[in-house]
Amino acid sequence: MMRGALSLASRLLGRRGGRLEEAPLTGRGFQAILVLALLAASLPIILSYTLLVELSFSSTLIMSPFQKTQFTLENWRLFLEGKLAPTAARIYSPAYIRSMIVNTLIVAAGVTVVVIAASAPAAYALSRLRFRFRAATLRFLILLHAFPGVALIIGVYAVYVYLYKRLFVGGLLPKEYLLLYSFAYVIVARASLEVPMSTWILKGFFDRVPWEVEWAALVDGASRLRTFWQVMLPLIKPGLAAVAIFAFMAGWEELIYVVVFLPREAPTLASFIHYQLSGGSLEASYLPVVAAAATVYLIPTILFFVFTQKLLLEAAHGGLKA
Amino acid sequence: MAGRRAISRSVAAVIVVVVIIVAGAAAWLASRGGGGGAATTSAGTAGGAAAAPPELTGNFTKDALAIGRWLEEHGVGQVTYTVMAAGDPNSVMRMYGIVEAAEDINDLWSENGVNVKITIKTDWSPDFKKQYDNFKSKYELGENGDFFVNSYIYIAPLASQGRLLDLTPWVQKYQGYFSDFFQTLMKAGQYQGKQYGIPQDTEARPLYIRKDVARCMGWDLRGLDEKVKNGQFTWQDVYQKAKEAVEKGCADWGLIHRKGSAHPDLIQFIFAFGGKLYDPQTGKLVVDKVAIKKWFQVEYQFARDGLLPRDIMSWDWGTQIHPTIVGERKADGGDGNTLFDIGGTWYWTEWQSKKYYLDPKTGERRPLTPEEVAEKFYYTLFPAGEPGKQPVTLSQPFMWMIAANAGKENPHYNDANYRKAYQELAFLIVVKASDPEINAIHSVISAHLPVSKKAANLLKDPQWVEKLRNHQLGLHQDVLSKIADIIDKTADPINIQFLANVTYMLDYTHFAPSHPLYDKLAGIFADAVDKVIRGEMTPDQGVDYIVQKVKADPDLSANVEIIG
Amino acid sequence: MPGSRSWAPALFLSIMGFLVVAFYLLPLLLTVWASFTPIRDWRVESLGKSVGLDNYRRLFYLIRHDPDMGKVLETTVVFVSGTLLVNVVGGFLLAVAAFLLDERVSLGFRLLWLLPRMTPVAVFGLLWYYFFHGNGMFVHFLQALGLLEGPTWIGQDQRFLPWGAWFIIIFVNGLVGVSYGMIIFYSAFKSIPRDIYMAALVDGARLRDIILKIMVPLTRWHIIFVTVWQLLSLLTTYAHLYVLVEWRVVDKWYGMTWSLYVFETAFGSTVSDQALAAAAAVILIVVGIGLGLATLRIMGFERELKPVRGDI
Repeated sequence: MMRGALSLASRLLGRRGGRLEEAPLTGRGFQAILVLALLAASLPIILSYTLLVELSFSSTLIMSPFQKTQFTLENWRLFLEGKLAPTAARIYSPAYIRSMIVNTLIVAAGVTVVVIAASAPAAYALSRLRFRFRAATLRFLILLHAFPGVALIIGVYAVYVYLYKRLFVGGLLPKEYLLLYSFAYVIVARASLEVPMSTWILKGFFDRVPWEVEWAALVDGASRLRTFWQVMLPLIKPGLAAVAIFAFMAGWEELIYVVVFLPREAPTLASFIHYQLSGGSLEASYLPVVAAAATVYLIPTILFFVFTQKLLLEAAHGGLKA
Repeated sequence: MAGRRAISRSVAAVIVVVVIIVAGAAAWLASRGGGGGAATTSAGTAGGAAAAPPELTGNFTKDALAIGRWLEEHGVGQVTYTVMAAGDPNSVMRMYGIVEAAEDINDLWSENGVNVKITIKTDWSPDFKKQYDNFKSKYELGENGDFFVNSYIYIAPLASQGRLLDLTPWVQKYQGYFSDFFQTLMKAGQYQGKQYGIPQDTEARPLYIRKDVARCMGWDLRGLDEKVKNGQFTWQDVYQKAKEAVEKGCADWGLIHRKGSAHPDLIQFIFAFGGKLYDPQTGKLVVDKVAIKKWFQVEYQFARDGLLPRDIMSWDWGTQIHPTIVGERKADGGDGNTLFDIGGTWYWTEWQSKKYYLDPKTGERRPLTPEEVAEKFYYTLFPAGEPGKQPVTLSQPFMWMIAANAGKENPHYNDANYRKAYQELAFLIVVKASDPEINAIHSVISAHLPVSKKAANLLKDPQWVEKLRNHQLGLHQDVLSKIADIIDKTADPINIQFLANVTYMLDYTHFAPSHPLYDKLAGIFADAVDKVIRGEMTPDQGVDYIVQKVKADPDLSANVEIIG
Repeated sequence: MPGSRSWAPALFLSIMGFLVVAFYLLPLLLTVWASFTPIRDWRVESLGKSVGLDNYRRLFYLIRHDPDMGKVLETTVVFVSGTLLVNVVGGFLLAVAAFLLDERVSLGFRLLWLLPRMTPVAVFGLLWYYFFHGNGMFVHFLQALGLLEGPTWIGQDQRFLPWGAWFIIIFVNGLVGVSYGMIIFYSAFKSIPRDIYMAALVDGARLRDIILKIMVPLTRWHIIFVTVWQLLSLLTTYAHLYVLVEWRVVDKWYGMTWSLYVFETAFGSTVSDQALAAAAAVILIVVGIGLGLATLRIMGFERELKPVRGDI
């Protein structure tokens, strides 16, 4: 029964997928000019990223990628050992640096899971179910996006403190769980900010699944839940992956919530780099080592770019159907 | 294709996360069972309310053992604290001092058969202001440090919010011990007559003068420090010399100073022109228009004549400020150089541990050696603003502070008796961390000044210095391993001589006011001086700007007197 | 099955609903509430007290008397309109270029321009810190053209203020936002039937005509949408600005928009005045909701909302 529905769906979807490569509209000479113009416009981006990576392998503090310098792995060694400058006291242990990367990963992965778990079923309902406040809910989601995130933080802080006092000062939970609580709170609170947009994007993907597919499953006697889980979700895998990537990146780069709510013993890459550079810290920061940390921080971005190019571009639409 | 690969990858990621969450939940459930059991047993042994912990007597060994035994009797086998500290990377003893002290107490306990252990978690920020923000915002979340090591200027706001422990009664018990401390510093640790901070270090902010530049312009520096001391060499002379240096082509700049903020370095101008920042009678901050205007006139003049970079407030520390202070003339292939620099004592070792110096011979950047630093730099007090005024320096002592909720991570914290025991123990750790030896080590590696006479005497003792160089001071291995490199770089007789040479400056020291709103006012000064140096405002307009900003803010205008 | 309709929507929406209520609506209400209380330095117990409209009074007093508040308002207007222009026009031109290029080359460029949006703020800030550094690449470039002498912080230097600072904040945020327009316009161009372009080419139409007579009119809806959506985002964005101001790449006040002012007031060093920040935030919320409602109208929301088919 499920199999039937799936094969019908893939046939219906397959027709859209197989588009022929089209010849460009313009001639060779014009293409060359365009490429040159675009390259010129892209120069600041290209040079800056190059400089960052080069700086992390540089024996001196260079200001442009063309400056003469010597290749070295020293900055990377220092960073991974937890030293902030070639000759300085050791402030961090290698374990601290590792935990920093792991913590960043935990937040990013946690945000991904929560976003998907919240927005996939909601998107399904908004796309496929008939209920009274459907239009109002969709409208509301757009409105939520318009709310300034900076306006939320004071309230989010108050909620944290209220729960904290309830759970820990009130003695419901022993203090050992404080770390767990703060991670869970950061993940869920940060994920919530992504949920409206993700729901909107996934709704777009559900909308594209032909109604016949679901019809087939439902007629076969599957429940809504089962249809959702076994038929619909597999069909919007690209959508899920795209939303997952953006949610992951949102968690990965999160600075404000992480800085405010995670205990200082649980650093992330964002808070680490931020503390090396902000305010008075620049006075003492050795930037080649910070560049190494920043390059590590860029790795997921680079991986996504190498492996999921089309998906990224598709997801970057933000749910808007062309 | 790419899409499918991405999907399987994200599926894998999802699985990993689910495993993590499930494992976490399992661990949580498992430990919850254990925790519940432990709670019942200890409640059983305590048999209701715990006895009151012993009062501190002023005898360290006796007190430490008494608290340790009390904790052991009450079923506490491990005490955990967190220390939040901040500063440049050479100042890490602000946090490792606490670790070292805790280890000392652990040793004392195990030698005497007390089966309790202290664990210290450390947290460091290179920016002390940021760390203050952290302490504040983390306090309500129960995530603040139990020990907070930061500038004394934060005592006023934190104490007025009830976030610091009042140490007065215990300090009185340990009066003998603390009488060896420089009393001006002890005083800086007070707010409204109560002791909230124990001095950790202090410093002076010398005016550095490049000997090679002076030589080039034919200026004999001998005896200059005495002239400055007597008020015979003032900022008017500094200006003339700076101008001469640039005009003769001996230096690219006449003066370089810090960027970004007015507190603490530039605030010295206010004192050097005989102005004040605080009125002890009213307890209000003061905007002294006359002194501020004179300060701005100096900076304005320097910047207009091209002696001080107009954009100095946004210069980069690592690539511009320090390289220029230590550098060679641009004409000689260096980064540019300066005759004067308003700096701090800690620059002295910073130049030896960072690659600021561009060596024109090799074209490479490297740290300076102690000999080179001594060869390059002359230093004096911050000169008087004008004839008839006094030279100054400004100290910003760092303090050991104990949070009002210290010990919060430990069992039965809600019980007043346990809480008191944790707090007394925290105080004992601070006492131990104030050990002359720990203090002297900090002074050497960070080029800050010691806070007690005993620590100052250690610096004068060549044998002690030799021991430090050879790592024979009996530091605990984990602390030693963290600072060994920096000891090797800095424990040099030249540096120790430097510390001895600048110590007299403390006699001329001023402190910024201990007032909850001082930091905010200093922020306005910074904006104003920035505009003046850049030429956006004349000195008069700069002063008006400060007055306007103060008046526009109801908080400030209620707490600030404007005079002059 | 017949009974499913009653519980199914609630079940499917439950997780999202919980999160939205707990971490959006409740905090939002609390923030509005906080604007009537004396909360400072994160002392949450102050939320129990009320000071009436005091914070709003303070805010408007500051606007009238603080010499820098005018700059904040000015910067907000210039930043939002300038970046909006870059994002929409720049995005459109990039999309045209990407559309006209061979697919493989085009993909490369589109990805390159998406990179800023996918880069963590802390790293992105570091990149431009160095680019606009007094001795950085941008200054080198101007020096090579003979326009400048010596190291200059153009976001700070009196000779270039306020436009130097504005240029930098618009440049940096423009790079982050321009890809959004690019991607949407690009796929809009793709969805115009190819025959239309071909027919125009056969008729001898020039590229300019194709852009102005085909691409612009046929994507008018997209242009409006991107404009309004970006307007909303720009009003509320602050992370990149925060880094640029904090690291002093730009002048403090000519780099500060209203939303950054909210953030600075709540989190900045010295007195963290959450009450004042909350009052400033409420103004932002009101503007945001107004613009959000406008977006909904422009989006032609009802057209977007396809009716649910089938009667199960």
